[in-house]
Amino acid sequence: MFSKKKENEDVLDSEEVSIEHREVEETSVRHSEAVHLKPSIISEGFEFIGEIRSKGSITVDGKLKGTVSVQSLTIGSTGSVDGNVTADNINVKGQLSGQMECRDLVIGGRAVVEGSLSYSNLAIQRGGIIKGDLKRK
Amino acid sequence: MAENNQSGCLIVGEGVRLSGTFNVPDIASISGTIEGELTAREIIVGATGVLKGKISAEVVDLRGEIHENLHSKKSLFIRSTGKISGSIQYAEIEIEKGGDLQGTLIKIDANVNSSSQP
Repeated sequence: MFSKKKENEDVLDSEEVSIEHREVEETSVRHSEAVHLKPSIISEGFEFIGEIRSKGSITVDGKLKGTVSVQSLTIGSTGSVDGNVTADNINVKGQLSGQMECRDLVIGGRAVVEGSLSYSNLAIQRGGIIKGDLKRK
Repeated sequence: MAENNQSGCLIVGEGVRLSGTFNVPDIASISGTIEGELTAREIIVGATGVLKGKISAEVVDLRGEIHENLHSKKSLFIRSTGKISGSIQYAEIEIEKGGDLQGTLIKIDANVNSSSQP
C-alpha cells in the first residue's frame, strides 16, 4: 500500500517534469523566430485601406486593401485581402487577390485566391479555388 | 486501379516512351513518358510518369509530371511529388504540400463539360 502510493507520486512527478520541459521547448521555439509581437487583428466588419508592415502576424476577418508586408498573414472565412501581399506564411480561408509573394501558402477548402502568385510551398485543400499565374521560387 | 477490369484502359510502364495521339475510354495509368495528345476518363500518373502535350481527362491523380496543357474536367489531385507546368484548366483542385504548380490556372464549371453526368 505504502509503496504503491510512492509509485504514484513518482509517476506524477515525472509527468510534471515532462510538461515543464515541453513548455520550455515551446517558448524557446517562439523566441528563436524572433517574433515578440502580439498578433494584430482586423476583425469582421472592419475595413482598412492602406499599407501594413509588420514582423509579426496579422489576422484578417474584415476587409483589407493595399500593401501588406508581414511575417504571417491569416485570412479568416469572412476576411478578404486585395493588393500587394508579401509574407512568409499565408493561410487563406476567405478571399485573397492581387499580387502575392510568400514562402508557405495554404489555401483552405472555401478560399478563393486570384492574381499572380509566387510561392515556395503550396497546399490547396479540396474545394479551394485558385486562378491566375503561378510561379514557384 | 486498373488491374481489375482492363477494358478501355491504357497502362504505360516505367521506361516506356510513347508519342502520338491517345484516346482512352477509361483509365490511363502512366509510369512512363507520353508526348502528344492524351484524352482519358481518368489519368493516373505515377511518380516516374511524365506527360507532355495536350492532356485532357475528367479525373487526374498526379504523382509525376504534366507539362504544357492540362484540362481536368472534374477533379485534379496533385500529390506531394507531383509537378505541373503550363496552362491548367480545372473544376476542382487539391494540392498536397510539396506539389509544384507553375503556369496559368483557370477554373472551369464542373457541370458544363460533363454532359454524361446526371
